[in-house]
Amino acid sequence: MSQKAVRWLYQQLPDLVAKGVLSQEAADKIKQHFGEIKETSRTSVILFFCGVVGAIFIGLGIILLLAHNWENLSRTTRALVSFAPLLLGQGLALGALLKRPASAAFKEASATFLSLMVAASIALVCQTYHIPGETGAFVITWMLLILPLVYLLEASLPAAIYLVGVTSWAGSHWNDPARMLLFWPLALAVVPHFIWAVRREIYTLRSTILSFAMICCFSVGAGFTLRNAFPDSWLVVLPATYAVFYLLASRPFDTATANWQRPWRVLGSLALFVHALLLTFRFAWKEMADFGLSEMGWEGAQGGAPVEYLITVALIGAAGALFLDTVRRRDTLASLFGALPFLAMGGYCLRGQPPVFTQAFFNAYLFVLSVSHILIGGRRSSLGTVNMGMLMLAVLIITRFFDSDIGFILKGLVFICVGVGFLLTNIWLARRPGGVR
Amino acid sequence: MKGKVLIGLFFCLAAVQIITPLAMIRGQEVVLKEGAPFKFKTAPVDPFDAFRGRYVALRLEQDTVPRPGGLFLSEGQTAYAVLGVDDQGFAVLTDVLTQRPAGVPYIQAKVNYCAADKIQLDLGIDRYYMGEKAAPVAERLAWQRLRRGVRDEQDTYAVVRVKDGRAVLEALYVAGRPIEDAVREELQKQT
Repeated sequence: MSQKAVRWLYQQLPDLVAKGVLSQEAADKIKQHFGEIKETSRTSVILFFCGVVGAIFIGLGIILLLAHNWENLSRTTRALVSFAPLLLGQGLALGALLKRPASAAFKEASATFLSLMVAASIALVCQTYHIPGETGAFVITWMLLILPLVYLLEASLPAAIYLVGVTSWAGSHWNDPARMLLFWPLALAVVPHFIWAVRREIYTLRSTILSFAMICCFSVGAGFTLRNAFPDSWLVVLPATYAVFYLLASRPFDTATANWQRPWRVLGSLALFVHALLLTFRFAWKEMADFGLSEMGWEGAQGGAPVEYLITVALIGAAGALFLDTVRRRDTLASLFGALPFLAMGGYCLRGQPPVFTQAFFNAYLFVLSVSHILIGGRRSSLGTVNMGMLMLAVLIITRFFDSDIGFILKGLVFICVGVGFLLTNIWLARRPGGVR
Repeated sequence: MKGKVLIGLFFCLAAVQIITPLAMIRGQEVVLKEGAPFKFKTAPVDPFDAFRGRYVALRLEQDTVPRPGGLFLSEGQTAYAVLGVDDQGFAVLTDVLTQRPAGVPYIQAKVNYCAADKIQLDLGIDRYYMGEKAAPVAERLAWQRLRRGVRDEQDTYAVVRVKDGRAVLEALYVAGRPIEDAVREELQKQT
């Protein structure tokens, strides 16, 4: 449970004991269960936010100043100047380690600033000597030089910068599948820091930012690097990646009270829904039906490297294990989402058949998924779950209506019906005895 | 104890962060001071790099070499382009090898593509950084000359220093003058 919710509960306890709702013993047990509230003052949160944002703006400002290209300065002067931002950043980071080792805000801000200054320094040397513009080489040099900062200064924003950097590096080696596979060890290098950050305090801004970066980068990285494992591997690899994120966050330890605190679950479900929606379109299957194999994104008969197969199998295996665990826990909604990679696998086996079968199947899947959300949300009086189901159903209906050759009058009427359906469901839920959550 | 180790590790990291650009500078300076100069005919365009600023992107005219019989190079493979000089004094690629040659000037390059009769190489000479106002003017000046069909020994070319397979761009010339001078004059005309 979030610290905010625990604080609220603790505030209610004396009143509940006084009114006889709870015994003092029960109140003590509740306190014992949730433990002490970690006092994170609003000031320290603001300090953290301002420090990091300030470091980013100043860092980017210095990079822009250097990008102006001070061509009046001699080559030697410019070479010397290129060390100034680096030394400044290192001085600040050293100051944070020596003087304020307990200040998360100071360490995070100085590590972020130093990360940007490393880039500024290398960029200025490249500019001074007209070093050829291989962006990939520039980015990977930068990333390897900032990775240790993540651990030395326990800083999460440099970890997020690093993840974005190694993902873009992998993307820049699109034509070199063997080198692209280095994405995995490089990206996994920040996972110990992520585990440390989450264990320290899970529902914080920095954990959320790092989670967002991890979900986006690992999904994009999986799309890039595992595309040669087998033809059209994206069909299975992408939902397996999303499902791992979503199902990990659906486990019983998920006690967040706000959506921003559960990026794995929110982004995972969104990505799974969008992927399933994509599979309801004809174009997703047509190419495979026409040619047997899609040439797009596959390097022909060469296939992938053994490591690529291994990672693909591990990813799908992890999605499978988490899915079975979710089914065992009888979590219907999470199980329905988590089933997508395996349904996509079934669809993959039918590739080459007329697309109408697979299209119809995934339309039915999304229909079941959205109706289940509406029914289960209604049963639990959870307005959020009902609205999510309604929204998914509405997107499915609207997509199909744009997709098919239906007149404007009928389309208009269906739109109105969907809108009225939303309103009536919400009114019905709001008037139910016991209210809604 | 833990704090001391942390500070020690930080100093190691700081040293690596400083040594990296220092090594880059040293590598370039050695070639600029000791390398042999070659003139490459080029056509410039003016793009932008979010980190490194505005630059004149160079498209070298001499980036292909006739494919030696029986030699097949795959895309991205490292190759060695042997340099010669034509009768106008401009650099030409005379041969491409898979092993480092001895006793002749050469540039270590990457293969862009290998056709039936020729091989196109990426020589790693593709950008010349300039001031944010100067770069677009430089590009315009160069293209004006190309449109007029002016093509002689005084046209747009890059001077590149070459040593032990490494090439470092030293200067860019338009109409026989350093591009910085031509741009300065053009900017003065505008004001």
